Amino acid sequence: MYGRASPLLFGNLMKKTVQGNFHQIKAPLLFLLPNILIFVIFIIIPAIQGLRMSLTEWGVFTEPTFIGLANFKELFQDKVFWRTFSNTLVFSFFTVALMMLYSLLLALLLNKNALRGEKIFRSLFYIPSLLSMITVGIAWRFILGDEMGIVNYVLRSFGGEGIHWLTNGNLAMASVILVSVWAGAGYYMVILIGGLQAIPLELYEAATIDGASPARTFRSITLPLLKSTLLVVLVLATISSFKAYELIFVMTKGGPGYATKLIVQQVYQVAFMEDRMGYASAMSILLMILIGLVTIVQFRISGKDQDYE
Amino acid sequence: MKKIAVFLTILLLATSTLFAAGTKEEGTKETTLSVMWFNDANESDVFMKTIDDYLKANPHVKVDLQVVAYSEYDQKLKMMISGGNPPDVARISTNTLSVVVDSLEPIDGYVDDIEKVKQEFLPSMVAFAMNKDNKLVAYPTEATANGMIVNKTAFDNAGIDLDAVSKTWTWSEWEKIVSNVIADNPKMKYGLAVDFTPHRFSTIMYQFNGHFLNADQSAMEFNNPGTINTLNWFKHVHDSGLVPKSVWLGSENPAELFQAGLVAGHIGGSWNINTYNKNVKDFEWKVVNMPKAAINSSVPGGKFVASFKGSANKVEAQKLMAAFSDNAHNEAYCLDTFNLSSRADATIDYPSNSKDFDVFLSELKVTPAFTANEWKNTNLSKVTTYIKEQIVEVLLGNVTPEQAVANVDAKGNTYFK
Repeated sequence: MYGRASPLLFGNLMKKTVQGNFHQIKAPLLFLLPNILIFVIFIIIPAIQGLRMSLTEWGVFTEPTFIGLANFKELFQDKVFWRTFSNTLVFSFFTVALMMLYSLLLALLLNKNALRGEKIFRSLFYIPSLLSMITVGIAWRFILGDEMGIVNYVLRSFGGEGIHWLTNGNLAMASVILVSVWAGAGYYMVILIGGLQAIPLELYEAATIDGASPARTFRSITLPLLKSTLLVVLVLATISSFKAYELIFVMTKGGPGYATKLIVQQVYQVAFMEDRMGYASAMSILLMILIGLVTIVQFRISGKDQDYE
Repeated sequence: MKKIAVFLTILLLATSTLFAAGTKEEGTKETTLSVMWFNDANESDVFMKTIDDYLKANPHVKVDLQVVAYSEYDQKLKMMISGGNPPDVARISTNTLSVVVDSLEPIDGYVDDIEKVKQEFLPSMVAFAMNKDNKLVAYPTEATANGMIVNKTAFDNAGIDLDAVSKTWTWSEWEKIVSNVIADNPKMKYGLAVDFTPHRFSTIMYQFNGHFLNADQSAMEFNNPGTINTLNWFKHVHDSGLVPKSVWLGSENPAELFQAGLVAGHIGGSWNINTYNKNVKDFEWKVVNMPKAAINSSVPGGKFVASFKGSANKVEAQKLMAAFSDNAHNEAYCLDTFNLSSRADATIDYPSNSKDFDVFLSELKVTPAFTANEWKNTNLSKVTTYIKEQIVEVLLGNVTPEQAVANVDAKGNTYFK
């Protein structure tokens, strides 16, 4: 999140620089400089280095050898990589969709200031987002484990059969998606509550006077005025879902088989276990392009006019 | 501008003086050794206890112990070495040794008689610790073996004389016996749990006369009748419910299943003796000979301590390792960690479980020598994760054993070119 707003603000500033007086924007530029430097040092330069590495054959203990586009050529024929690619798309799509719906629902329910103990509920729903994903993964593995899991223990206590939450491919993917949503929704709920509270109450009062139903009010007032906040949540949730690693590593290790293995897990395995840093970098470049394309599409679908003022 | 230049010059000189003072510090004897460790049970605590007398005798040496989870150990160590910042000393398993062997500091420059040092340890352990220049690069500490630990109480409840049957049983006989054990023990659900690692899978594979590599280790040869038979058998015992799918498909911990009394047996490493000694109180357990397929076999392994070529404190690191690996310290360490010693001259009187260690040792004695060479192979270590994935694909029915072994050979041979 730290560097994501920076390019947009910087872009606007550059526009003003061309159009206006440099002296007027010197101070704002100086204030932005630390942010820009950190963005360049920790995001741009590593990305360029990654691109350079993707053109080499390089083991951890060997010198890199330039091989041109051979890694990318191999990548396009790598069945395992494309399996993880499709898993990543499935995981991201469902996680983001469910996350948006769930966090919006929570935000709507907990923004009314009418419920007793509302603030306590907000805190309770927010707490999972504070936990380390490794802790979340370990806890849910104990809950959903086939033999040692609490859920199956309860089911068997009532005479039922255990459910293969983590050993059936489809159920394992559903499990990691739902746990991701549970863990992350509180964070986005808080962002959406902020967005909801920025909507002028007079609009709702006017709608009530005009006899608008709650559904109509939501459709005509809440959603349009929440659009920019929803876009922020959408972009953040999407980028986060493409980088999901710790939760899946702890819960399923990408299994059973390749059922829940995402691109990030494959990058890690190829880089550090198969000792092919160059090939792993090529995968990372493809992942970066994918995330970039998806983000661009999201911005385009949401419309060009974004109100940041 | 002039003021800024003067200020920067003063700052530069001041920091240079600080570093110069640091350099002078290194000329004194104070040394803090960074020691990287992983635990199977309580090994790090016992290590510190074991070297306590050495540290007292050498007060200028301090140890900064960093314990890292085994699942991340290899990657962390590789990154530290690659980044030019290796620890001074690290505990290393046979798997890791094959990966980092070229980064390890040879011992011969720090001892008077390297041949005498080699003779102090078991030959198979010394073989693991030799680099391509035939130099010893690590001190062996514990010898390990894979074996079968069983719930003796459950077998007793089924009226089975475990000592008698386990001397000569085959896997077919084991299936019938363990089905009776499950039937006669209401809580017990499965016959066997196998650790979710290619190393443990290979225990059974070697028994079926399978192998990973060709005879001269110049290429993968996972595609062989023994390995295919192993995969067929492994799928059969999973599908028939004798082995829980939650270990190889769901990453559940087989040791936890065994301790909970859900499985009659566990194929794991000899280090489990320590864990089960502490944790298992509800039933009797013991180590028995594994059933025979075509042959009997275990898989040799061990743990070592080594220092690194890039270390800043090689001399003190080597002295510490030499002291830790001498007879008295090694025996004390192996006694307290319930591990087999890698020293040829060790005689350890374990307070309990001596017969269990004897079984592990007897299985090591009948293990073919090539098994150690396979697990020492650096190229094999790069493909073991893929092998594990392909085995799971066979269990899921997504590929046949024949397809799986062919996939492994195709992938693995890219490292042998």
